[in-house]
Amino acid sequence: MISMRNVSKTYVADKPALSDVNVEIGQGEFVFLVGHSGSGKSTFIKLLLREILPTTGQIIVAGQDLVRMKSWKVPYLRRNIGCVFQDFKLLPNKTAYENVAFALEVIGRSRHVIRTQVPEVLRLVGLEDKMHSYPDELSGGEQQRVSIARAFVNRPPLLLADEPTGNLDPATSLGIMSLLSRINKTGTTVLVATHDREMVDSLRRRVIALENGRIIRDQDRGVYGDGD
Amino acid sequence: MAINVGYFVKESLVSFRRNWVMSLGAVITIYLSLLLVGVSVGSSMIAGQIVKSVEQKVSIRIFLKDGAAPEDVSKLQADLQGDSRVKTVKYTSKEEAMEEFKKSYSSSPEMVEQLNVNPFPASLDVETHKPQDVPALAETIKGNATFLKVCDNPTDPERSIRWGKEWVNRLFSFTRILRMVGVLFIIMLAVISLIFINNTIRLAIYARRKEIGIMRLVGASNWFIRMPFLLEGLLQSLVGAVLALASLAAFQIFAMPRIEEAVPFLPFALPPGAAVQIAVILIVGGSIIGLAGSGFALRRYLKV
Ligand SMILES: Nc1ncnc2c1ncn2[C@@H]1O[C@H](COP(=O)(O)OP(=O)(O)OP(=O)(O)O)[C@@H](O)[C@H]1O
Ligand SMILES: [Mg+2]
Repeated sequence: MISMRNVSKTYVADKPALSDVNVEIGQGEFVFLVGHSGSGKSTFIKLLLREILPTTGQIIVAGQDLVRMKSWKVPYLRRNIGCVFQDFKLLPNKTAYENVAFALEVIGRSRHVIRTQVPEVLRLVGLEDKMHSYPDELSGGEQQRVSIARAFVNRPPLLLADEPTGNLDPATSLGIMSLLSRINKTGTTVLVATHDREMVDSLRRRVIALENGRIIRDQDRGVYGDGD
Repeated sequence: MAINVGYFVKESLVSFRRNWVMSLGAVITIYLSLLLVGVSVGSSMIAGQIVKSVEQKVSIRIFLKDGAAPEDVSKLQADLQGDSRVKTVKYTSKEEAMEEFKKSYSSSPEMVEQLNVNPFPASLDVETHKPQDVPALAETIKGNATFLKVCDNPTDPERSIRWGKEWVNRLFSFTRILRMVGVLFIIMLAVISLIFINNTIRLAIYARRKEIGIMRLVGASNWFIRMPFLLEGLLQSLVGAVLALASLAAFQIFAMPRIEEAVPFLPFALPPGAAVQIAVILIVGGSIIGLAGSGFALRRYLKV
């Protein structure tokens, strides 16, 4: 699903955000990406979304070479990648339903598709009762579930999450993680960048640890880190 | 894509409403610009009509000496008639010239009575097909041997031929300048409108940056993201164009008849079909300005 070969990304000279990263992530995997602040996690995610291009190296996502990809094709790549962020990125003037529907609307899905898929995915994240609430009427955990619903409504084969529980309390975080696990069980590949030590340690999934832009550990059924 | 037409229209209307102060500003400048374009085009059309009607009156008059041999006069007449530039040649006898004078001074008969001899020379009036040919034709006539024989001032033949030399030249250069100033004016106004639309679209992009970010994230195509902004620019310029057309129509209906009454001797009216022409110019021109203005803004402020 994801293949990175010798990938480096340098924003400013002499201080690479990522250097010589080699990663293979198979279809249906659940992977944690951990590391200190500034270790390059967000850069990793942005490369996969082709928000940025690597300075050197090759990136293949869903069989497509992101470096060679024509820029007009990028939107079609992103339709296959769901994305979740720490700050939710919900539109405040739209209800939960409308926020999720927006993602389908703007890629040209028909009204019929929208009317059936949006309630379904909101049910999956447990928000069928709050469909018509606005973001400021929802708790942080609920807002994050709306954003996961939006990322997943199009049933993408790959879901990326950049610190999805960064602003949430432990109990709520647990709910979000189990939701991501459930999504992973439907066959979707899930990559979660996180600081959340407890979460990583309790779930026992594959862990890729970054430090100063290098992969220092890649471990199946791993934990957050040895004392760091 | 067809199902999304409603989406685009909705989005651009929402944005128009949200940004209504700036949108109104854009609409007003486009309105003023297009109004001035309409006025420039309309008045240059009217000026064209006036020039044409005046040009039609530009002709050459040749004065003949008393007692010129009739066969020489006919020969000159035939020579002129044979020139391809000439449309008509009309002979006016001494008596006819006198009659004409009497007619134009009929309000002061005492002046006419004082004339006990007929001082007016007979003349040939030459009209050309094209007014621009007048100066060259006048030169040709001066070189004509028969003309030198029959003209009323053989010592200075120059004075036996009259045409609005200065006047014709001045008229031509005046219309040229008018046309140039009009074009400059229109270009300037188009640029001002472009800048205005560019600015409103920039603000619209800024106001919607969050939506745009999410649209990119979920894979909306570049054209899909751009479309509402293009439509917004188009909408603004079309509203401006329609208002400008309405104002011009009101002027045509209410003010033009007054002006026509005030200057009955000049054809102070739009040529036929001009109204449609102006409407097309404003709507097409407005659309181009609207699309170009938002296009520039999208290029500069919306990296997709
Ligand atoms: N646009 C940019 N221009 C310059 N430097 C950047 C840019 N984005 C990130 N960096 C630098 O690259 C390095 C990695 O940043 P990145 O955002 O990937 O870290 P992170 O692991 O996501 O950190 P955090 O956990 O705080 O989110 C940092 O040193 C950061 O300062
Ligand atoms: Mg980060």
